[in-house]
Amino acid sequence: MTPSTDAWTEQMRRGGLELAILLAVAPGTRYGLEIIRHLQELTDLVVTEGTIYPILGRLARDGWLEAEWQAGAAHPRKYYRLTARGRRRLDAMIGEWQTFSAKIDRLVRAAAKERV
Amino acid sequence: MNLSESGEARIRGYLFMLETSLKTFLKRDVVADAVREVESHIRERVRETEPMPNERDALNRLLDALGPPHRLARAYSAELAVDAAVSSGRLGAMVRAIFVLASNTVEGFAVGVALLCGYLLSASCLLVALMKPIFPDNVGLRWVNGEFRGAGWEPFLEPGMVMTDGWWVMGICAVVGSILLWLTHRGARRYLRRVGERRLRRIDALPA
Repeated sequence: MTPSTDAWTEQMRRGGLELAILLAVAPGTRYGLEIIRHLQELTDLVVTEGTIYPILGRLARDGWLEAEWQAGAAHPRKYYRLTARGRRRLDAMIGEWQTFSAKIDRLVRAAAKERV
Repeated sequence: MNLSESGEARIRGYLFMLETSLKTFLKRDVVADAVREVESHIRERVRETEPMPNERDALNRLLDALGPPHRLARAYSAELAVDAAVSSGRLGAMVRAIFVLASNTVEGFAVGVALLCGYLLSASCLLVALMKPIFPDNVGLRWVNGEFRGAGWEPFLEPGMVMTDGWWVMGICAVVGSILLWLTHRGARRYLRRVGERRLRRIDALPA
C-alpha cells in the first residue's frame, strides 16, 4: 500500500469507527472490551484497542451514549447504551452511509464498464 | 493468568503514565474515570489470557494491543481536548486543544498562529519589564551616538549605545504585556467555546 493510500484508508477507518461503535451498542448494552471484541470479530476497524475508549467518552459526552459502571464478577465494568438522541443519530448515519456507498458503487460500476 | 508482583508493577506503571498524561488537560474526575475504564480492560484481558511461561511477553502483547499510554492520551486529547479546555480554562488544556484544532483544520491553524503571536508578544513585553530591576542599565529607549534605535532590553551595550527612560519603558511594557496576555487568553477561550458550541449546535440540528 502506498503512503497516500495508507492515509486514505486510515481516514476512512476513522470515519467509519464512530458508526461502527454506535452499531455495536445498537442491539443493547455493551461494555468497552465487548464492543472491541464485537468489532474485531466482524471488521478490522480496531487497530489499537485503546482508541475506542476516547471515542466512547466523546459519544457519551455528546449525549449519544449513556454510560454506567456496574460491579462485575471480578472487577467493575463501564456499560454503554444508546440514548434516544443516539438512536436518531445512528439512523441518520446509516442513511447517509447507504446513500454514499450507493453513489460510490455506481461510480465504480460505471468506471469498470467504460474500461471494458 | 495470575500476575506476579513485577507484572502488577508493569500495569501500575502503564496506568500511572496514562494518568499523568491525561492530568495535563483533563479534569480530575474525567481522568479517574478514564484510567478506571482502561484498568478494567487490562484486568479482563489478563484474566482471559492463558497462563504462559513468559508473563512479561504476554503482558507486553496485551499492552501493545491497547497502545502506548502517551498515544492513548493523545487519542483522548483529540476527542475531548476542546471540551476540557472550555470547562477548565487551564492553560495546558487550552494549549493542547488549540494544537489539536490547528493540526486538523485550516481555521484552527490560522487561529493557532494568531494566538501564538499574541502569547509570544505579550511574553516578550513582560520579559522586558522583568529585566529592568535585574539589569537597570540595559532596558529603555536605545540610542546610538544620539540616534534613536528602538526600545526594549539590550543584553550587551555596544560602544556609543545609551539606554534612557528605562522605568517608563518597563511600566509601558508591563501594562501592554498584561493587557495583551489577557486579550489573547480571553480570545483563545472565546474561540474554544465557539468551537464547542458549534459542535453542540450540529448535534442539536439532527433530525428529531
